[in-house]
Amino acid sequence: MILKLMRKEWKEIIKTGKFYALLFSFLFFAISSPAIAKFTPEIIKSLINSQQTQGLIIQIPPPTWKDAFLQFLKNLNQIIFIVLVIVFIGSIAEEKNKGTAIMVLTKGIDRSKWILSKFIFQLLVSFALLSISYILCLYYTFLLFSNFPIKNSLFSTLLYVIYLFFFLSLTLFSSSLGNNTIQSLGIFFGIFILLNIFSIFPNLNSYNPLYLSTLENMWITSYVELKEALKPIISTILLSFMFIFLGILHFKNQEL
Amino acid sequence: MNVIETYNLSKYFKEKKAVDNLNLQVEEGIVFGYLGPNGAGKTTTIRLLLNLVRPTRGSAIVLGEDITKSKNYLRKIGFLPDVPNFYNYFTPREYLEFFADILNVDKKRIDEVLEIVDLKREKRRIGTFSRGMKQRLGIAQALIHNPSLLILDEPTSALDPQGRKEILDLILSLKGEKTIFFSTHILADVERVCDRVGILKEGKLLLNDTIDNLKKKYSRRTLYIEVDNPQKLFIKLKEFPWVESLSLSNKNGILVKIKDMSLPQREIPRIIFQEDLFLFKFEFLEPSLEDIFLEVVS
Repeated sequence: MILKLMRKEWKEIIKTGKFYALLFSFLFFAISSPAIAKFTPEIIKSLINSQQTQGLIIQIPPPTWKDAFLQFLKNLNQIIFIVLVIVFIGSIAEEKNKGTAIMVLTKGIDRSKWILSKFIFQLLVSFALLSISYILCLYYTFLLFSNFPIKNSLFSTLLYVIYLFFFLSLTLFSSSLGNNTIQSLGIFFGIFILLNIFSIFPNLNSYNPLYLSTLENMWITSYVELKEALKPIISTILLSFMFIFLGILHFKNQEL
Repeated sequence: MNVIETYNLSKYFKEKKAVDNLNLQVEEGIVFGYLGPNGAGKTTTIRLLLNLVRPTRGSAIVLGEDITKSKNYLRKIGFLPDVPNFYNYFTPREYLEFFADILNVDKKRIDEVLEIVDLKREKRRIGTFSRGMKQRLGIAQALIHNPSLLILDEPTSALDPQGRKEILDLILSLKGEKTIFFSTHILADVERVCDRVGILKEGKLLLNDTIDNLKKKYSRRTLYIEVDNPQKLFIKLKEFPWVESLSLSNKNGILVKIKDMSLPQREIPRIIFQEDLFLFKFEFLEPSLEDIFLEVVS
């Protein structure tokens, strides 16, 4: 049943063009991140020369593959994150709001399966696009920097996968609680702001899912102790399952 | 056998009693008209029957299953909401393919139902459809899994006369084949297609009977009398306790509403004779469903 419901999700994102928006975003940042890292110092240098600032000495360290991947991760954590949330957050709330969910659920389709099909689908699409963009970014990094940073970048991207799992579960939870996209976005960013506030407390920060993005960068720039990474990984996975469970529970008992 | 049975079924929203102690039976194979003014609780009853909301009190058996314990019965129901919304990016065929897929229905059935609702050759996206076409597609999705019970929530309320006729013709074509539970506030539609009618007001079921019985029950309570001097008869009739209301109609006519027919049938001819009036017409008026409805809800 979940597979059949997922087939409809696939047709939906193709026909509404959402898939192409996601694909474009992922591909664009996979290609542009190494290019920006490579050419930014040269652009700055040429700007300085053209502005006749001969007395000014600006030292820019030569860019490396690390800059390319840091740029890629920054885009994943900011722009891609927002694009994914905007594309996926209405999937449950809007179906409730418009009444299209009722047409399916009154035919005896299990509510848990219906909501899970959406979540698994979003996860698979995001993971597939992330994998493609990761490989592409790796390839361009190799082309521009003649370096193949597979180990560090892979660990770092794996941390992003866990982070992706977390914010998609938060999307499911928010969309289950909200009655429309705006409400769902409010709930999502409300929780997100709370997590940001928690990151002020050093004791709580190492369990905060947002700490994963710091670790992603650290894995690129230096090295991360597995012990240090385990705390946020485990707490993020637990929190994700909690949001999935609560989202499904709420939706199952919700009056439509 | 009853397809729907409710026992003190109630749904309260804070202070409002949307459905209040509803005891309703709907027999298999009939077209049941569920009538009521706006806000009477018709849609809430349907939402209760479809497990979209939980009852505050009471229970219901639909297709032999307790709705509070099982959801399997939903597989045997086709439902059309009052304002159906679709995945507008699909064509009708794609939309029905989705339902056929999740309900394990043979793909041949898609052609059958598209033929029934006359959308077989329609290749455009649903988003471009008129209201009437969407309503027909709504019936198609309700029929896709060949359900034994169809629940239609105000299927004609927002349609133009042509669209209304199409939907009513469709319902008529399904009559006898399926049990149809049909909520509406348009009395002419009920009169045209329904076998039995239930009237709901403020969440309470005021009556549940066949249209024929209702007409019989209410028909012998209004008389139309034409005499040469209606004013004289009007004044005389006012004295009798069995007269509920009187009104002058046309030039020589009087409309007399009575509480019980047994006495007036003997008394009125006697009065006409005593008052030395010429009787032109004496007729029992057949009430329309609208008259019955207005009388019941008021």
